[in-house]
Amino acid sequence: MKIKKYLGILLSTVLVTTSLVGCGPKKTSENKEKLEVDKTKVLRVWSFTDELKEPLKYFEEKYGIKTELTIVPTENYASKLQPVLDSGVGAPDVFTAEIAWVKQWIDLPYWENLSGEPYNADKWADDYVPYVYNIGKDMNGNVKALSWQATPGGFIYKRWIARKVWGNDDPAFVAQKLSSMENFMKAAEELKQAGYKILPDEGAIRWFAKGSDPKPWVNEKNELQLTQAQIDFMDYQKKLRDNEYTALAPEWSPAWFASMQGQIPINAGWEKDVNKVKGNKTEVFGYVMPTWGLHYVIKPNAKETAGDWGLTSGPSPYFWGGTWIGIYSGSKNKGAAWEFVKMMTHDEEFLNWWYKKTGDLLSYKPVTEKVKDTAKDEFLKGQNHYQFFLKEAEKINPNIVTKYDQGIDTIWGNVVKEYIEGKKTKDAAINEFYKQVKNAYPEIKTPLDK
Amino acid sequence: MNKRNFIRGILYAALTLLALICLIPFAMMIINSTRSNTEIVRGFTLIPGKSLIENYKNMMYHMDVSDGVFKGIWLGYKNSFIIAISVTILSGYFSALTAYGFYAYDFKGKKVLFILILIMMMIPSQLGLLGFYELNKALKTLDSYIPLIVPSIATPFTVFFMRQYLVSTMHPALLEAARIDGANEFSIFHKIVLPIMLPAIATMSIFTFIGAWNNYLIPLTIIVSPHKYPLPVLMGYLKGGKVSENLGSMYLAISMSVAPIIIAFMFLSKYIISSISAGSVKE
Amino acid sequence: MNSRNKYGYLFIAPFFIVFSIFGIYPILLSLYMSFTDYKGIGSPFNANWVGLQQYARLLKDTYFLQAFINTWKIWGVNIILQLALALILAVIFSDVRLKLKGVSLYRAIFYLPNLMTVSSVALLFLFILDWQHGALNGLLLKAGFISKPVNWLGQPQTAQLSVSLIQTWLWFGHTFIIIFAGIEGISKDYFEAAMIDGASRTQTFFKVTLPLLKPIMIYVVITSLIGGLQLFEIPFLMSQNGLGGPEGSLVTMVLYLYNQAFKYRNFGYAAAVAYGLFFIILIFSIFVFKGMFKEEA
Repeated sequence: MKIKKYLGILLSTVLVTTSLVGCGPKKTSENKEKLEVDKTKVLRVWSFTDELKEPLKYFEEKYGIKTELTIVPTENYASKLQPVLDSGVGAPDVFTAEIAWVKQWIDLPYWENLSGEPYNADKWADDYVPYVYNIGKDMNGNVKALSWQATPGGFIYKRWIARKVWGNDDPAFVAQKLSSMENFMKAAEELKQAGYKILPDEGAIRWFAKGSDPKPWVNEKNELQLTQAQIDFMDYQKKLRDNEYTALAPEWSPAWFASMQGQIPINAGWEKDVNKVKGNKTEVFGYVMPTWGLHYVIKPNAKETAGDWGLTSGPSPYFWGGTWIGIYSGSKNKGAAWEFVKMMTHDEEFLNWWYKKTGDLLSYKPVTEKVKDTAKDEFLKGQNHYQFFLKEAEKINPNIVTKYDQGIDTIWGNVVKEYIEGKKTKDAAINEFYKQVKNAYPEIKTPLDK
Repeated sequence: MNKRNFIRGILYAALTLLALICLIPFAMMIINSTRSNTEIVRGFTLIPGKSLIENYKNMMYHMDVSDGVFKGIWLGYKNSFIIAISVTILSGYFSALTAYGFYAYDFKGKKVLFILILIMMMIPSQLGLLGFYELNKALKTLDSYIPLIVPSIATPFTVFFMRQYLVSTMHPALLEAARIDGANEFSIFHKIVLPIMLPAIATMSIFTFIGAWNNYLIPLTIIVSPHKYPLPVLMGYLKGGKVSENLGSMYLAISMSVAPIIIAFMFLSKYIISSISAGSVKE
Repeated sequence: MNSRNKYGYLFIAPFFIVFSIFGIYPILLSLYMSFTDYKGIGSPFNANWVGLQQYARLLKDTYFLQAFINTWKIWGVNIILQLALALILAVIFSDVRLKLKGVSLYRAIFYLPNLMTVSSVALLFLFILDWQHGALNGLLLKAGFISKPVNWLGQPQTAQLSVSLIQTWLWFGHTFIIIFAGIEGISKDYFEAAMIDGASRTQTFFKVTLPLLKPIMIYVVITSLIGGLQLFEIPFLMSQNGLGGPEGSLVTMVLYLYNQAFKYRNFGYAAAVAYGLFFIILIFSIFVFKGMFKEEA
């Protein structure tokens, strides 16, 4: 392979000469030195939502440090941030990651090792909901990212519909109604008879599919694992579609948002002005959403019916999303960065304030322990959402998260949709799934390789 | 004669119809940018609405607050302008310099180098896209305008065009006369050659500017921070954001993004079209 | 060599320095990457050398084949319409007997779309073609041409056709200008001779105009081919998440390259796709060039 050698040498000399200059992420972090908080420097933070806006304001007031938040939307976040982290140019001091990216980045030298000096985050291990703390560890067990929230899921429903159809709106009763997929379908039929739709769209039950047989998409041998549960749920999705149990309002579509407020026309699809669609109207019973879905999605879109909602569990427990935060290893402003990360994840005063402001489920036990018995959510008719979610959080198995989840979930969702729409047979859809996964991630072994 | 007039009438009608088809998308764009979301949803009409200012405010608000682009579309204008003007100046000056080097001097390897330029003209830019990206990652110039501006020092097509221009318009005697007067080579270029080349530079500058203004793929891969986006990337970015939830604001943003080019075209159309005509015959 | 001629090197030096760094080096680096399994993290020189493996994969890749076919379909429909339209217009405007007026105004209008920022054009049509409240369906419904909205971008065939038509809209004016200039450049003697010989319009067109326009037509087809095979912005911006629309019908070769690199981070493979694309353009350019000249001989 002479060509390789010469080409390699030629091309890399150019790169080496240039990469000697400047600063990239540090490969090994031995920060024995004391952290200094330099108040004259601006703390630069990158994230994919505007969630950190308020906390940063709080931080600015409390510490007198100026901050700058750059928001890159979810769709582009990973592809835009990666080169920045890789090269170190224009990199932030602090950056967040959604659960899928945590797995992609945790073993790369992007985040500062918080287990080392002077952070010593290891001694905080018992302060957090276990799964949240564990996801932030790299393969050597070092903590690199922390999170202020836990994001177990539930089934969030409209109580008045439960009363009308079943004469009972109690969460325990509804949980019974939805305790298995068979019961779920029965409940769907009963709701349909009364003129309601159990779900906005079929894809909503994908979380139950994952939760009913929690296995990672890719195992440690790098093999793609399509569980029987996932295959069974293709049929459940098809059944939901064929029996008209859903309102055909796709997740995140305007119709989907509108369905939280009240009636929507059947098959409004992506219609922006839902009221303009003619046809029979219907109402959606409930949503498969996690903690943040309750606070940031449903609440703002169902103001008129606040107080008459309920929270319960579906056929299987699940979790969805979550944001982790850490310090960029090449940051020149680690002192302030650490102060902010600490405030976000380990500052009782701030987290109390944050809890009161949002009602979001925190992962920090000193706060959750204090509020869990007295917490109640007026939106949920005074139901104690904290106790419910904390119990669900205990069931979470963080080992099913892989760095491929975002990509594979999208591919799977698309082929299942082609199946339920009748464009592909079940086998063809599964085959297409294998092919697309292989095409996107050639290193994964699929059944087609055998 | 009557028959000919009849044919003429039909042809004019057909041509006008075609012209209308060409213009309809622009009309839809401009008219819809004055109408509110609800009006647009209800259907299309040719009558402008009254929501222009509201659409503008909504667009600016969402760009600033939710989508993280500060000062909204005006920042996009500024970024695009900085890039396009720098590219135009560098490309114009250095292409003229290179073309003159090829025209006026006989040096070893001249032919080979010129053929290299011709070959590079034919190579699609995607071929080097990933290498270009990696190079800038290594040079630490990602998320800066350097990769968008500096490479324009080497624009093969412009060099080719300008050399052809020199061959057909330059009188070698002029250079000899200047040399006898004792002018050095660089001042000859700057004081004599450059003014003579101005028409060619101007022609290429228009196309270079438009090309740089409209460039999408390279900035899409190179620029990371939203506040550094040039206009085309900013437009693509708006698609997934809050601005696109209000159709009127979205149409307004699109209108504003193409407005500078349309205005420039109104003044320069004759010049641009004759340049294209001239270029095609020569090739 | 005359000492003055050394200045030649000085004059062309800036060009070739920048050219080597930003033009040639990236192309070689892409080539190098195409022989590795580089994943876009760290440096390509630390990635594993895999020889021709990426190219072997390219030859077997049905998704790339689909992208190849999609690109050709979209380009093919567009170039036929574009050329036909431009030729007809050029013939009409250059007809010595008709003497149509207003050429420059029409020409300006036909050419205008070509100057638009392509990403803005893509967005504009994304909204115009929206099947629920796009302006086009609104217009067609009102005029009574259709009775229910057409989901232009929701079905593979109409989605591809839409992109072809947008490309035609963007480019026919440009092609028209070039062909018109070509016809104007033909000596009037030819046409007068044909007229004296009593040739009809059709005969003049096929026996005189078309053969003389051949070099210009080749130029148009080749430049359009090179541009068309690189189609990216419109499909990228007109499909959800840039994934390439209904059933992958809008996945073009460059879109495939982009997604392999920047979405799935298969940089090594994407570099092989880039070289595949380059060879396809090269082969077809030669093919078009030779094919059109052979006919003449």
